[in-house]
Amino acid sequence: MLPCRKNALRGTAERQHLLTAERIHMNLKLIAEQMLNGLVLGSMYALVASGLTLIWGTMKMLNFAHGELYMIGGFVLYYTSLLFGVHPFWGILLAVLVAFILGLLLERTILHPLLDKPGWDVSPIVATLGVSIFLQNFALKAWGERFKNVPYFIEGTLDLSGFRIAYQRILILVVAAAVMVGFWLYVKRSRFGLALRATAQDRDAATILGINSHRIYLLTFGISSALAALAATMLAPLFLINPWMGIPLLLKAFIVVVLGGLGSFGGAILGGFLLGSIESLAIVFLSSEWKDVAAFVVLISFLVFKPSGFFGTKEW
Amino acid sequence: MSFGPSLSTKKSKAIAAMVIVLLIFPVFIQDPYIMNIVILSLLFAVLACSWNLICGYTGIFTFGHQAFFGIGAYVSALFSMKLGLSPWLGLLVGGVAAGLIGCMIGLPCLRLRVAPYIAITTLAFSEIARIICMNLVALTRGELGLWGIPEFPDIPLWGDLVISFSGGDRTAYYYVILVIFFASLGLIGWMLRSYIGLAFRAIRDEQDAALSLGIDTTRYKLLAFITSSFLAGVAGSFYAHYILILTPTSVFSVGLMTEVIAVTLVGGLGTFWGPVIGAFSLTVLLEYLREFGEYRFMIYGAMLVATIMFMPKGVSSKLFPEKE
Repeated sequence: MLPCRKNALRGTAERQHLLTAERIHMNLKLIAEQMLNGLVLGSMYALVASGLTLIWGTMKMLNFAHGELYMIGGFVLYYTSLLFGVHPFWGILLAVLVAFILGLLLERTILHPLLDKPGWDVSPIVATLGVSIFLQNFALKAWGERFKNVPYFIEGTLDLSGFRIAYQRILILVVAAAVMVGFWLYVKRSRFGLALRATAQDRDAATILGINSHRIYLLTFGISSALAALAATMLAPLFLINPWMGIPLLLKAFIVVVLGGLGSFGGAILGGFLLGSIESLAIVFLSSEWKDVAAFVVLISFLVFKPSGFFGTKEW
Repeated sequence: MSFGPSLSTKKSKAIAAMVIVLLIFPVFIQDPYIMNIVILSLLFAVLACSWNLICGYTGIFTFGHQAFFGIGAYVSALFSMKLGLSPWLGLLVGGVAAGLIGCMIGLPCLRLRVAPYIAITTLAFSEIARIICMNLVALTRGELGLWGIPEFPDIPLWGDLVISFSGGDRTAYYYVILVIFFASLGLIGWMLRSYIGLAFRAIRDEQDAALSLGIDTTRYKLLAFITSSFLAGVAGSFYAHYILILTPTSVFSVGLMTEVIAVTLVGGLGTFWGPVIGAFSLTVLLEYLREFGEYRFMIYGAMLVATIMFMPKGVSSKLFPEKE
């Protein structure tokens, strides 16, 4: 941009016109690159948020510890690659597994006893908030406060006639797409998916038809935690790993689920991409410090004018 | 006319004892460390009582109370620093600013009924407030911290006798927060015993029924928002002139909200004295746990989980079981 401005100063009017066109081209390229970045991040927001929305859809609760399951996923990846020096694939697999088991434990020990008791609208928020503080400070104590770095899984960048994108980011998009399609098919086609949708629609009716809703809740929690951990491992090379990494992601996931409509899987995906785009546009037109404000303003506008989001049901 | 439950003799004796102990306490103990803990307990009690009004009595689960505390703190500090406003008036200005913002935040919450949606809305607002405070470096100095906040001016009494707020003695601050504490409890108590409190509880228990009985739910919900945020703002501006340094993280953090929730819940959500009991027991406990250093907040988190699982009504209902 700088040499362009220098030339413009001594250029003729015609030349200046040409340069303006060039600048617009540069800006468009910048916007396009930012948008692509937004989509990459958005795909991961969608993964984190879909776990949140899945739990809301079946259990009608908000999981404030979701961000910490994400955080633990990041740490598991970091330590498996550090300690065993194996391919990141195994780290990712282990992280997903650990988060899945933690999710099961969390549901069984803490949320299961609260179920069907008065105050279900607030009690899980408070309980998971407690878990979240516990896990954050556990991570701080166990793994320290130094920010940890994970190398890219694949080095190098793809260059499409001046339009550059790192392979890592392409990998993120591919993984996100694969997981989303796979999960969507699983929910639509499998017996478990059928039971899950039945429980989400009407728990009592599902129970009468022989569906063990407690088992559905348990598995939902496990899957949701696994999705969060998967997103954490994919984003680990882009963001740094630290005990507080889950907090901004949880806030973003909240925005995503409201935009898409709480309880809707498709909504979470659309909302994720939308939030990614909003953030990248805010970076281009405002600055990176104000991008979160832009996202929150969009969130509040939705809550004022369309609380059900894109695909949500009337539950607010 | 009184709508509140009548006081049992055991309870009124306990309250009388508490008031007397609080009034004469500085005569016996002047240790600044203990004084600081008691001042912070009272501050947290005000904050928790104000949140209890909106969450415990009106049934609106807000998750952005830290914003009002922070707005009160920053508004009062900035007015006194940039415009030379007396910190005494700052208490009021900070409270009013927080109350106005509270009304603004209350508006989008009017339509929402489910706790998670309200929690997300209020959390979003408080995050916006935090980021704005962090980014307006020219005004608030951002994360570097706003310092140079004036202390409360001395109050001349008689001749050379003054109530002094400078120096190491915190007794004067203690009485200021004690007055704020009693005034807040008085205001909340008066509200709860009047028709307003009845309307609040009706909204909490069954909004549609309240509406059908002719309760203007919009008006009362906004009133709950304004009162609750006003009190939090007053607490915040006291904090500004007491601590004398503010950072966005110290007054706008979600951690502060978590502490308010913990204090209220441990004490007893929707009980009048619950937040007070919670504030004192938790602040003292946290000081005691300081020896455990980093384990402090782990215990805190575990306690929050344990409370909601095993004692959802808090300590207060165990101490003073209400008659059926």
